[in-house]
Amino acid sequence: MTLFIFVGDMLVMFFMVTMIVWLTAGVGKSRAQEISRIPLEDENYNG
Amino acid sequence: MSAVLEQGVIDRSVAVPDTYYDKVVLRLVQFSIVWAIVAMGAGVYISAELLWPWLDFGQPWLSFGRLRPLHTNGVIFGFGVSALMATAFYSVQRTSHVSLFAPRLAWIVCYGWQLTVLLGGLSLLGGWTSSKEYAELEWPFDIAIALLWVSFGIVFFGTLARRRIRPIYISNWFYGGLIIVIAMLHIVNNLALPVTLDKSYSLYAGAQDAVVQWWYGHNAVGFLLTGGFLGMVYYFLPKQAGRPIWSYRLSIVAFWAFVYTYIWAGPHHLHYSAIPEWVQSLGMVMSIILLAPSWATLINGIMTVSGAWQKLRTDPALKFIVLALAFYGLATFEGPMMAIRSVNVVSHFTDWTIGHVHSGALGWNAMITYGTFYFLLPRMAGRALYSTSLANLHFWLALAGTMLYIMSMWAAGVSQGLLWLNLDETGELRFNFTDIMAGMAPYYGLRLLAGLIFLLGTCLMAWNLFMTIRGRDPVEVTAPDVDPLYEVKR
Repeated sequence: MTLFIFVGDMLVMFFMVTMIVWLTAGVGKSRAQEISRIPLEDENYNG
Repeated sequence: MSAVLEQGVIDRSVAVPDTYYDKVVLRLVQFSIVWAIVAMGAGVYISAELLWPWLDFGQPWLSFGRLRPLHTNGVIFGFGVSALMATAFYSVQRTSHVSLFAPRLAWIVCYGWQLTVLLGGLSLLGGWTSSKEYAELEWPFDIAIALLWVSFGIVFFGTLARRRIRPIYISNWFYGGLIIVIAMLHIVNNLALPVTLDKSYSLYAGAQDAVVQWWYGHNAVGFLLTGGFLGMVYYFLPKQAGRPIWSYRLSIVAFWAFVYTYIWAGPHHLHYSAIPEWVQSLGMVMSIILLAPSWATLINGIMTVSGAWQKLRTDPALKFIVLALAFYGLATFEGPMMAIRSVNVVSHFTDWTIGHVHSGALGWNAMITYGTFYFLLPRMAGRALYSTSLANLHFWLALAGTMLYIMSMWAAGVSQGLLWLNLDETGELRFNFTDIMAGMAPYYGLRLLAGLIFLLGTCLMAWNLFMTIRGRDPVEVTAPDVDPLYEVKR
């Protein structure tokens, strides 16, 4: 049982690490900087 | 620039910018503040009952056992969730550059939620309870909560689906995680067989029931009181500091690591219990790993403010947000340490846990919410905050109240834990249990004082914000043009 849980855990971890690497690699530095500016440029006040 | 011509004919060659729908946001903020005062008031009252038990006046509905769940449910679901709904609706519109999807449904969510919390609270006073911590409400309320929560999700994800800007900003990932995971936790943990209107029995029994309950309980803390409020940080901190988040890529790593790790950590609530030891170990290890994503956000937040320290002198909203980050760091360090079995043997069942919970609830959740409200209301009113000095006074009261609270509970908890572990040669307690608890009176007195100070600060904020928004509707704000590079083509 312990081995089963350990292997399962490692598979989940592998999936997690792969997904994080894939997601972060897909966002280049300049693109990330532009996305991070969204909250600073999202309003036009009319009042 | 008007796209509507005199005869009511729409000129489709001119794009009409979306106007953000903020009325429901304002109403949710108002409800949140009312719940903060009511639920924190209940907390102060029960802390007084621990000193003077006669304060229940022989009335069951005034007893500690009924008022305590009213306090926790009122603070979490009334104050906390109303604030999360308000800020989610506010930020998802802006980061998507569109107005709110299904605003009528948003109003149903707003009022339906308040009615459910109100009636649910009264049912707790009436003695209805499922006896599951943070899930005490009986099955009719569980169904109402599930329906309203799904409706909340429809409004949020509906807005996101209509977005005009392709990237989904990081705060929306946290709010989305909150909505999806809380729906899953709530439904699974509350699966029960109703026998009467006010009584049901859980589908789970024994150790399974305990594991499911703390899978729910800890992840409610994780995805609601941590993840949801991190959504607030990632939107309102850059906004108030006037600087983008320090490392956007770190925020993505933190989100996914947080989601994957947190969901395993629940069993640390069940150390030395009848559940299998490997489950306890798994919960402990995952809790320690959780330090990494938690502190990734802490570092990201502090580095974001690092270029705007001068604003802290004059800006009460930013003060609250930065202080909240500091308490977030403290609570997310303390939590994993308490999950270690050899530490837990001292801390479990003592007031140390109460101190830990309140370093998160007061220092992190309440402070970040207060900072956000001090940001939101003047902007919605289109005028400056009614009194900056009153907000500064609130800041110091909140800090003093929180520090006094957690230090008194640490002292009480460590004393209790060590005295309870002190056994004689026959394995009996060396110090009588009731004597130990009677010795806690000075700490409980300090805790009562701390609660009163914190509540006073909250009342000052309510007055300050009421005077700021009095007689005003939210200012009309429209979405800006989208950079063609990131525009979603329809």
